Amino acid sequence: MQINQVSDSAERVLIVDDEDLIVLAMRKYFEGLGYVVDAAFELEEAQALLANYEYDLVIADLRLTGIGGVEGLQIVSDVHQRCANTRIILLSAYGTPEIERESYNRGADAFLHKPKAMMEIAQIARVLLEQ
Amino acid sequence: MREHRALNTILEPGGITPMYQPICFVSGNNAVLTGFECLSRGPKGTNFEPANVLFEYVRLKREEIVVDRACISAALANAPKGDVRLSVNVHASTLGRDRDFVDFLCDAAAKNGVATTSLTVEIVEHAPPWNSAGFADALRRLRVQSIRIALDDVGLGQSNFKMMLDVRPDYLKIDRYFVEACDHDDDRRAVIESLARLASHFGAQVVAEGVERIEVRDALQRFGLNLMQGYLFGMPLNAVDATLLTSSRGDDRASAESPLSFRAS
Repeated sequence: MQINQVSDSAERVLIVDDEDLIVLAMRKYFEGLGYVVDAAFELEEAQALLANYEYDLVIADLRLTGIGGVEGLQIVSDVHQRCANTRIILLSAYGTPEIERESYNRGADAFLHKPKAMMEIAQIARVLLEQ
Repeated sequence: MREHRALNTILEPGGITPMYQPICFVSGNNAVLTGFECLSRGPKGTNFEPANVLFEYVRLKREEIVVDRACISAALANAPKGDVRLSVNVHASTLGRDRDFVDFLCDAAAKNGVATTSLTVEIVEHAPPWNSAGFADALRRLRVQSIRIALDDVGLGQSNFKMMLDVRPDYLKIDRYFVEACDHDDDRRAVIESLARLASHFGAQVVAEGVERIEVRDALQRFGLNLMQGYLFGMPLNAVDATLLTSSRGDDRASAESPLSFRAS
């Protein structure tokens, strides 16, 4: 995936998921709404981007490396430490109440349980960005 | 599962694109090409094309050894031939952990017709720690091969005073953070003058990076610095343009210390 040129006004979104099709669908949907979208498939790829670019919104899957992974929590921590203004939505099909609580403790703005309609994610994103 | 897919993309043949940025000896308005710093770009059209993202990823994955080797292979395979120095970037952690690194570097140089005596290893590091015994051994072996050693990003990250004592570099490279406003910022000027005195004590030369304005060029000369690198003297060039720049000396048979003159203004 390529780093996108950023216009002055467009909001910049980072999507982090290890599933190609999910990334492709979300990228297309959010680009269609006028966002500038970058995508990462691994924790370290996301961290390298977060170290070099400022995002308005990060949408990350909780699990990036298969069974038992909670890499999304690390991304929440990284985002929270680097830029207090960046909003972050965590998505998970496996989230327990403990993990959900932990994600909010680390600074997540929303924790959404999969499956979630793209339109609903986008509406929550809009609300968060306008807060 | 995408684990390591990105790394494989980076390491594929052609994944790393070498670029060559001129390093010049500056006297007054004249700049003389002395060498190139070999830089790397990641695979085109990926997140890793910008070097800062590429190397942040590499550090996080702890894959410095394999990527350093890939960058050096690409740089030397396409390097401009001629009487110019070539600086290649190597992580301190690679020198500390990769026991065969010096042999690899010498083999890569020989294979591509590059004399080891024209090589400078620029040590970069932003993350502690590394194997200090292996690191010291690698430095010793580089010296045996007459390969010069530069400390990159002096004053930032792990390029600190301890590193200077451990490495005893031939060159100290001062980061643009200190250089770019040194013509009007007394604090930055003080840092640069201090590093220049330190370099003199060690018998090292200082290279100022990120020189983009004539005022900075002139200020650096007032501080006693003559080796400079930055957009004022040339952006990173692809292999073809770097070769053209080197060969444009024509019949000038000057040494690597004074191969090409041009006005940097």
